[in-house]
Amino acid sequence: MRSNPSDYEMVAPGKLHTIVSLLAQEPGLWLPIAGGTDVMVQYAAGKLPARKLVSIWNLPELRRIEVTESEIRIGAGCTYTDLRRHEVIGREFPLLGSAARWTGGVANQNRGTIGGNIVNASPAADSLPALLVYDAELILVSVRGERRLPYASFHTGYKKTLLAADELLQAVCLPRRFTGYFCHARKVGARNAQAISKVCIAALGRIADRVVDDVRIAMGSVAPVPLRLMETEHTVKGKAIDSELLLLARKAVAAEIRPIDDIRSTARYRAAVAGNLVLEFLNRLSSEQMGAEHEQVADALARWNRLPIDEAIQTILPCCGSEAWAQGMVARRPFADEVALVAASNETWRSLTESGWMEAFQLHPRIGESRTSSPKPMSQTAQSVEWSAQEQQDVADAEAAMKIALAEANREYERRFNRIFIVCATGKSAPEILKILRRRLKNDADTELYEAAEQQRQITEIRLRKWLRG
Amino acid sequence: MNSNSIVGRAVPRKEGRDKVTGKSQYVDDLVLPNMLFGATVRSQIPRGRIRNITFGSGIDWDEFVIVSAKDIPGKNCIALIGDDQPCLANEVVNHPEEPVLLLAHPDRHLLPKAVEAVSIEYDPLPAVFTIEDSERGSDIVWGEDNIFKTYLIEKGDVDGVWDKADHIVEGEYTTGAQEQLYIENNGMIAAFDAAEGITVWGSLQCPYYIHKALMTLCALPAEKVRVVQMETGGAFGGKEEYPSMIAAHTALLAIKSGNPVKIIYDRMEDMAATTKRHPSRTRHRTAISKDGKILGGEIDFTIDGGAYLTLSPVVLSRGAIHAGGPYYWPSVRIHATAVATNAPPHGAFRGFGAPQSLFAMERHMDRIARAVGLSPVEIRRRNFLQPGQSTTTEQVVREPIDLGKLLDRALEVSDYHAKKQGFAKGNQVGATRKGMGIAAFLHGAGFTGSGERYLSSVVGVEGCADGTVRVLVSSTEFGQGTKTVLSQIAAEALGLPYENVGMAQPDTLEVPNSGPTVASRTVMVVGKLVQSAALGIRQTLISSNLLSDTYTAGEFRVACENYVAAHGEFRSWSRYEAPSDIFWDDQKYRGEAYAAFAWAVYIAEVTVDLTTYSVSVDDFVALQEVGKVLHPLLARGQIIGGVAQAIGFSLYEKVVWQNGRMQNSQMTNYIIPTSSDLPPIRVHFEELGNVYGAYGAKGIGELPMDGPAPAIVNAVQDALGVYFNSIPLLPEDIMDGLSSSSQDNDVVSAGRVQ
Amino acid sequence: MTVSGASCAKAEISFTVNGKAKTLCAYPMERLLDVLRQQLQLTGTKEGCGEGECGSCAVLMDGMLVNSCLVPVFQAEGSSLVTIEGLASGETLHLVQEAFLECGGAQCGICTPGMILAACHLLNGKPETTMDEIREGLSGNLCRCTGYSQIVEAVAEAVRRRMTV
Repeated sequence: MRSNPSDYEMVAPGKLHTIVSLLAQEPGLWLPIAGGTDVMVQYAAGKLPARKLVSIWNLPELRRIEVTESEIRIGAGCTYTDLRRHEVIGREFPLLGSAARWTGGVANQNRGTIGGNIVNASPAADSLPALLVYDAELILVSVRGERRLPYASFHTGYKKTLLAADELLQAVCLPRRFTGYFCHARKVGARNAQAISKVCIAALGRIADRVVDDVRIAMGSVAPVPLRLMETEHTVKGKAIDSELLLLARKAVAAEIRPIDDIRSTARYRAAVAGNLVLEFLNRLSSEQMGAEHEQVADALARWNRLPIDEAIQTILPCCGSEAWAQGMVARRPFADEVALVAASNETWRSLTESGWMEAFQLHPRIGESRTSSPKPMSQTAQSVEWSAQEQQDVADAEAAMKIALAEANREYERRFNRIFIVCATGKSAPEILKILRRRLKNDADTELYEAAEQQRQITEIRLRKWLRG
Repeated sequence: MNSNSIVGRAVPRKEGRDKVTGKSQYVDDLVLPNMLFGATVRSQIPRGRIRNITFGSGIDWDEFVIVSAKDIPGKNCIALIGDDQPCLANEVVNHPEEPVLLLAHPDRHLLPKAVEAVSIEYDPLPAVFTIEDSERGSDIVWGEDNIFKTYLIEKGDVDGVWDKADHIVEGEYTTGAQEQLYIENNGMIAAFDAAEGITVWGSLQCPYYIHKALMTLCALPAEKVRVVQMETGGAFGGKEEYPSMIAAHTALLAIKSGNPVKIIYDRMEDMAATTKRHPSRTRHRTAISKDGKILGGEIDFTIDGGAYLTLSPVVLSRGAIHAGGPYYWPSVRIHATAVATNAPPHGAFRGFGAPQSLFAMERHMDRIARAVGLSPVEIRRRNFLQPGQSTTTEQVVREPIDLGKLLDRALEVSDYHAKKQGFAKGNQVGATRKGMGIAAFLHGAGFTGSGERYLSSVVGVEGCADGTVRVLVSSTEFGQGTKTVLSQIAAEALGLPYENVGMAQPDTLEVPNSGPTVASRTVMVVGKLVQSAALGIRQTLISSNLLSDTYTAGEFRVACENYVAAHGEFRSWSRYEAPSDIFWDDQKYRGEAYAAFAWAVYIAEVTVDLTTYSVSVDDFVALQEVGKVLHPLLARGQIIGGVAQAIGFSLYEKVVWQNGRMQNSQMTNYIIPTSSDLPPIRVHFEELGNVYGAYGAKGIGELPMDGPAPAIVNAVQDALGVYFNSIPLLPEDIMDGLSSSSQDNDVVSAGRVQ
Repeated sequence: MTVSGASCAKAEISFTVNGKAKTLCAYPMERLLDVLRQQLQLTGTKEGCGEGECGSCAVLMDGMLVNSCLVPVFQAEGSSLVTIEGLASGETLHLVQEAFLECGGAQCGICTPGMILAACHLLNGKPETTMDEIREGLSGNLCRCTGYSQIVEAVAEAVRRRMTV
């Protein structure tokens, strides 16, 4: 122990307003000490410059957690154990819960506080990345009153914060809007417990319509401050998670972080592992989404299985414009899973008469157009219009010349076969479709009918899968 | 041994109750009247001449006791093998943290500031920090050539094997320094009285090493130096020689002040200033036949001894003798060297040179396997020593050890083949890779060669006035079970209940010199002497007609009480006699190096996480032949504890050096495994007996340190297909190894091809 | 509690230790560890590192395991402390102490007081602790001798015995 206790003074007024008055009287002179897990280590090493300490340990005003409808307000004096034990934190803010679990050992969790972690401002601190992704706000208090600021702006440099010399951190507030997010946290240290992090990640993600709808990624020990990876988030948002995106994400991470060599690890290692951690998150987000998707599909099917007949018919009709088909499907309920549904759809479709097929054909707009030729506007639901638009997305981007060629070929087809040209356009470009069209123009009537029917079968299958996934 | 035997049973630890109730007295728990506290002013540079010392302002220096080299009554050295290490630097410092001055004060809190207020000016001298720097010889920092010691072990005709080899396999392997990290820091209390002399109480392994050092330092005769061992919170070799230094410091302060003086290091000082395991470099060049048999080879084994001689020659010796592993070498040349650098002297740490050279041997075996196209299992099986064959020092294996069977059992228990097959498939996908690794090895117990003869240990057993029996040894308890096992042995020999026998606190005033508590010799060598000394007590009582040949515990008690009443002190002594069939040639460094070897096969299962590059040990099987297990719980505890330290040695514990100084001298930054990092370690024993050891026991304390590191690194290679030849193997190193090409450039195949 | 007017003077501090009320004078920033060991002669609590890493100094403060090397004695005012000396009842050892003896949980003994208190804290919080939870609960207590296996087994044995009581 390298300090002399008789050199130090400590007071414990026990009331917040007394403490802030003290801080105001002699700004910078009094050092607040909560659980002591940082201050006492410096002290024992003979490296604590402050000689006057004011104890804020176990202050009721600081050591409480309030839950309102919109947010949770965590007193700065709450220990990691307090955080670990709180039900709402465990349920709605699991990233903070994990951080609390892997900060030090149990004894240090019983004394270390969230406020201390924030104000000590080490870029390696375990709970700070979680606070960043949860859009935390801080409440600071002084004789001048309270002020509230976004945590994202709190760290201004290595161990430098916006905390004024006479201010005390009173609470950290987290908005309650993160249920429904996939969450992922991981700490990489030199051992499984009681380790200062070499790199750590806290991340939230949400996928809608198979693309990343929202993503929030923060990391520790990769910069002088805990870092929210905005660039990487931007790279990933709105895209589907595939191998190409993962490569882009890794590049974005590498460009965004500024790791260093220090006594615990190297910049090279931190950079590589940071990239790995982000990819691990994105991969898990993606397959978690698959798992969630699986549940979603099962739910949608179960609900449709239970619908009254008329409603069930109306619900499934946009997938394939044929009433006969829809009636056939409803009659074959209940379906156990997606596979059974699709198999039944194929069978039902193949068993229809020509008039049943024609009904379905007429639902579609001419390829390259959006309005249908159908005299039955009621089948043209907003849903099927949207789906048509999606399917023809590639075609819509075709050049003007291509458009003209397609329109001409379409008209030729109609002249020949007395109906519009049906093709499963998903994933096909305009030139490809033109090629197919020209080939099929040479078909005889019977062959062409079966080709068109097969295309409709494919379209129906795609629309069924989309429908199940909402 | 019948079911009433005490030896072979898990009897209660003698001092266990005190340990679980917090009653045990460690040195910092002891307070003496008028005691002062001491602190050490240390060098901040690696090498230089002391130009000037100034005592800064702001300190009332009159209140302090100040000791320098000039205050040393006798010789300014810590007497050990050589006398090159000063107790206090006088003109020159040769390593960072070298002690220069000592301070004492009644208030321990005033010392840190006072230490900082002493400024020492130096004229720096060139310093060396690595084995290579030292070997280069451009700066001589010790003796004439930086070389503390060399050994040459030669067997057969090495130069003739290269032509006959189908494969020539080369490799270089390195191990880093390792800090013992006993949880109780070094500490000592000294008191001086002109009539009685010096008494020290401390955390220590070897009371008589300190006794000898203080005699030289204080110019006092043997009867005026007294050393008492307190309960010691872990040692592992780190308190073998170092305590002589801290004892010397407290003694000097006690002599100068006239007060008792206590020095307790804090963790930062203990880590930075005291001994560590010797870093090593081993080079192998081996001639192999086409069917994978070792024809011969050269082994170059070099250790970094730090700035002074201390125990480096002995560490070197053990490392050199173990360098060939448990294999048959028809011919070999082992060239071993200990070199000087300007780091705090390196010292004893469990294994004592063997973990270093055996790491190299066992990594090299896997390399040989690959070169020849055999499995790690098969290459070992084909080269194991058989009874009747001789070791690298030409010691003939006389016991019926079947290493092939030991290997088979380890493979079975660890489910090695099935797991390896499964991993080969599983490793095709996913973010982790798994692997299995083997290490086969041996460990010689007791002092090397003529060491035990030289020690000439003496053991006493006392019949006390109250009819109980006391073992008198200088062998110390520091967790490994000395008190318990030696009491078991004496009780067994006398046919008395375990409760009636105890061990005296090691106090040089009370106990004879049974040698240092090192080299895995306590149960085997000292235990055997306890056995015979105990029988001496029995014999005396029988010869005095106080006891018949068979007796009850009660009868013994009465006989003993009566004897003491009639004759006073009742003690029986036993002195070590070298077995007549053990020969060692110190000149040629050849012969029976150890009275007994324990044999082992260890198998590690690891997972490498490709996201973080970290290695976790998922399962560990430790199988060893140990002669006889005298206490199942203690023996198992020793193996598990040793394996845990060796896992630390391989994967976690890195000393970060800068200019000879340890930079990460805090527990936050020097990483040992926690309970969350280690798997359950599975321990199995085989027992072949040992005629030279008490009740057939062989020494086992250090054995478990030798195997885990190569087993784990072999497993990592199995998982990743990349060669790693250096420990500690950190995630950063694994990442580097994966990203650079994993070509093995060291395998050179000789011309002869099928 | 007395707040001293003059700077750097001692404070009067009261707490209970092992059921006994104590009042003493100490500098506020004296470590609870040192006050226990030196003023109260309760030397069962040990210093291994002084930085809250090894757990050898662990005591129970108001039922919570804390590293006493990191607690300024001033903050222990009014608290209820339990040290290793307070576990046994006279000659009768605590369940965890018995289990440590039977299972070889103590070798050199220096980590043992902190380790035993950590085990007690764990069992107080969750009587039906699993092996993994035991390892996690003890992960703040370093042991260099045992490799942890026999310690974990001792705690598991204590859990078993408790269930059958």
